[in-house]
Amino acid sequence: MQPSSAPPGKLIVAHPDRKAQRALVRLVGATLCPVEVVADVDALIAAVDAQTIVVVDATLARAVPTLRDRAARAWIAVPGEGLAPADAETIDVLLTAGWTHVVAHPMPILAEELLATVQKLIRGDAFGLEKYMAWGAEVRSYMLDDTRDRDAAVNELAKDVIAVGLPDRVGSMVSVIADELIANALYAAPVDGAGKRFRAAEPREQARTLAGRDVVTVRWATDARYLAIEVRDRWGSLDPSTTGARLAAGGKQNPTQSEGGMGLPLAYACCNQFVIGVAPSVMTEVITLLDVRYKPTELGRSASFHTFVGTMEGQG
Amino acid sequence: MRLGRLDVTIDGSRMTFVGRIDDGSVLGELPAKLPVGDLVIDTSGVTFINSIGMREWMRLVRVLRGRGTITLERVADVLITQMNLIPEFAGSVKITSFHAQYVCGSCGAEPAPIVDAVAHAEALRRMQAPRLPCPECGAQMELGDFPERYLTVFRT
Repeated sequence: MQPSSAPPGKLIVAHPDRKAQRALVRLVGATLCPVEVVADVDALIAAVDAQTIVVVDATLARAVPTLRDRAARAWIAVPGEGLAPADAETIDVLLTAGWTHVVAHPMPILAEELLATVQKLIRGDAFGLEKYMAWGAEVRSYMLDDTRDRDAAVNELAKDVIAVGLPDRVGSMVSVIADELIANALYAAPVDGAGKRFRAAEPREQARTLAGRDVVTVRWATDARYLAIEVRDRWGSLDPSTTGARLAAGGKQNPTQSEGGMGLPLAYACCNQFVIGVAPSVMTEVITLLDVRYKPTELGRSASFHTFVGTMEGQG
Repeated sequence: MRLGRLDVTIDGSRMTFVGRIDDGSVLGELPAKLPVGDLVIDTSGVTFINSIGMREWMRLVRVLRGRGTITLERVADVLITQMNLIPEFAGSVKITSFHAQYVCGSCGAEPAPIVDAVAHAEALRRMQAPRLPCPECGAQMELGDFPERYLTVFRT
């Protein structure tokens, strides 16, 4: 009998607590990649190489935020231990320091989020909200034909969400998220050859047919665990290396001076997971997940954050 | 008066907003239409505000607070949560009441009742939201979100 081959990759779990180590090994072990366990920073630094995906305790990461400057396939910070979420201050510190994978929530969300994140990295398959949904969830999509379709798409989405039995609170957050992500795709994403965002100052009431690279698609789905909203543009111009710091700055930025720069931070503030996928110069996809199982206070106060850079190979 | 999809009513030193504060709401027109001095703004009817709307709202508040005290009554849930993201609002306006998401542990209702910020001022300063009766079953409800999302503007 010949078992199927193990997927390529190497995982390290770095956590000082033995019980947390065991739990994390089980979670990422589901990928069938070999997992090494270390308990401190020195051992971690000795073990990591450019092919490693590192899952590291957020408290450890916060103590040495420059860890993620070391070459690795990915650095993923996870909540400390037990059922406690990562505190909001720790999330801010890590996003500001440039961490591109920060998990905020405790189990069972940690398990779902961590496995999806690690598998996306191992498989190099960065896009699509389906990766966060249970099998059977129906995906609805909208393609905007004109910039003026933005309001209709947002209203339709909010109406659909309420119609499936989710509370008004969720409908209200969905409206803000969808509006900001679509506006970002319509006006901030388009860049010219010099990298200038040439639509940024375009009057919002102005009609513009959306064709070719201007096409914007919106999809959403729910599986009664999460509500996922996905917005894609065809520019791939979002810089994932600076977005985390922008989100962490949030309202500390001056919205009267940042000229619309509050859009993504506002969408981040309304969701529980904020996931960016970029195929440079080809596509940007932003997925926001709202957990609809738990009361907001049972989750982390800040949202998790992930960025993936990939190619469109095999994508529809 | 209608600013985009926002209906604005001015009655002496009282202004009421109903609708959406968004890209179409150019609030900069309003100060010229208002009397100089103290002002009360009721935003209970605001159903949506995006980042551009928030920018307009901040600009309006900055202009108006230079002319007198601004009192915000019945601040909409969608507005109070966004105001709490922006440190500038803490202490810069007087909030007498606001809507907030509550949750009833007994029947599961998730209404957004009005919280009296004057009667509960001391608790709000300590970041503690009052318990309120559920409109459906009468049981005591709790704030359904992190206090920081609603009460940072009251913190001293």
